[in-house]
Amino acid sequence: MPNPPSLDRALMQHLAELARLHISPERMPILRQRLERILAGFSALQGVITAASTPIAEASPRPLREDRASEPLPVATVLANAPESAGSSFLVPRVIDA
Amino acid sequence: MTSAAPTTAAAIARAVAAGTTSAAEVLAASLHRIAALEPTLHAFVEVWADRAQAAAGRIDRDRAAGVPLGPLAGVPIAVKDNLVLAGEQASAGSRMLAGYRSPFTATVLERLEAAGAVLVGRTNMDEFGMGSTTETSAHGPTRNPFGNNLVPGGSSGGSAVAVAADYCPLAIGSDTGGSVRQPAALCGVSGLKPGWGRVSRSGLIAYASSLDCIGAMARSVEDLALWLDLAAGPDAADPTSGPAAPPVSASLTTRGDLRGLRIGVPWELNGPGLDDDVARCKDEALATAASLGAEIVDCSLPAVAHAVATYYLIATAEAASNLARYDGVRYGLRRDGLGRLDVMTTRSRSAGFGDEVQLRILLGTFASSHGWSEGFHDRARALRAQLRADFAQAFARCDLLLSPTSPVPAFPLGSSNDDPLTMYLCDALTVPASLAGLPALSLPFGATTDGRPVGMQFTAAAQREDLLLQVGHVLQRHTDHHLRRALP
Repeated sequence: MPNPPSLDRALMQHLAELARLHISPERMPILRQRLERILAGFSALQGVITAASTPIAEASPRPLREDRASEPLPVATVLANAPESAGSSFLVPRVIDA
Repeated sequence: MTSAAPTTAAAIARAVAAGTTSAAEVLAASLHRIAALEPTLHAFVEVWADRAQAAAGRIDRDRAAGVPLGPLAGVPIAVKDNLVLAGEQASAGSRMLAGYRSPFTATVLERLEAAGAVLVGRTNMDEFGMGSTTETSAHGPTRNPFGNNLVPGGSSGGSAVAVAADYCPLAIGSDTGGSVRQPAALCGVSGLKPGWGRVSRSGLIAYASSLDCIGAMARSVEDLALWLDLAAGPDAADPTSGPAAPPVSASLTTRGDLRGLRIGVPWELNGPGLDDDVARCKDEALATAASLGAEIVDCSLPAVAHAVATYYLIATAEAASNLARYDGVRYGLRRDGLGRLDVMTTRSRSAGFGDEVQLRILLGTFASSHGWSEGFHDRARALRAQLRADFAQAFARCDLLLSPTSPVPAFPLGSSNDDPLTMYLCDALTVPASLAGLPALSLPFGATTDGRPVGMQFTAAAQREDLLLQVGHVLQRHTDHHLRRALP
């Protein structure tokens, strides 16, 4: 089992990139200290032996419903909340080089 | 509302149907009270006065025309800011969703409007439900009617205050780890978290999907039963919604007392760490239940020792995934990316999410990331299974479990902001039922020596909301804790 982690600068930066968040140099030490305190408090969990056989990801399992086609929302309705749109599309910065 | 006006949802609907008052009069009283007290309390992010007046007018015209009225005809209801209503704004307490208008209506709100409810506005909340004080809202804090320097609890703090200040007899909230029950307790009102899947979540802005439940707050258990019967039931728009269950209102009065009922007291939820006044109120609640014929038995939920860690690792991992949808592309805040999509997304999220939300996204990203998930998220899932097994064992011996709802009463604004772990530990008594997906009810049950309300939590086995509400109704018929008000 891993020990309570020490969140070095590289790991914090990696987490921020995975989460698509920019953490300023001023906030980084504050967030790091808070996360380390939380994880230190939670680390006891790693040594607990559980009798229950299967880990669960849900409160109570549900059977999958039958797949059914339904009417989608009108394009204009969906685009009404778009920060930028063009025609029937969401507009974003170019992602493929011309 | 004036003291002469009906003050429960059931009584208002009866009075409107009988013509002794009108929906317009009831709404006018509600809006009058909101206008008088909101500058201090700030329970609402937005009041839908025009929309509500139009709805009340329709109900009064229907009555005049002899059209049958619904069971919530003319009842003003406040709605948490994370439930969407077509054409209206919903922000989940976040800058990220400023200006967002929903293209559709949450199933639970559709059902309430079909029953004649008058939706009066959206209430303040911790950002995306992430908080226990309503202070992480981008709209500023809400204040507790029992003391303007006190937090109302959270995350559904605005909804709890809307009921506690008598703006509305009924308010809708959501409960991921205690967000209906804990503010209900801190504001002296009753709050129900139904079992997971009992009420459709279509139209609820997601926080942690394996935990999120829609719940309600009211003065009386009778109103919570009325709400549940209208809100519950399968919904094609939410594949996790459960099968239909028998209505609970019809069986609400089947018990005159608590004879034949075994109430379990898990020592892990009733031991050290409780505020002295909370412990005293818990002893008084047990004595009241015993005097009404209940048998009180000791029991144990060993996995509760790790419930807070289990909850926060699971909830934040799900939140990191759910909140990935806020990328600045389809809706929500967008910041300029200087021509780059990845920069646009990172800048938008960094500007749109508040500090606590960013902290929880980072925690959830860490707990579920390669190299760390085995020690954290996987352990949490195993402990969740263990906790559910512990509850099953307890319910083999007991009908209901009792504990305080919160280990502490309402505390001063600003006092928990610097230490997230201390704030998370405030949820220690509510997260176990959330992790196991069980229904739980918080009832006001006494007060501290300086008058702050204390709530008691009753937890039932899966699908036993009926028992929970029957017992709550018996207790409210024999006590008057639920009638105590903060404001004249």
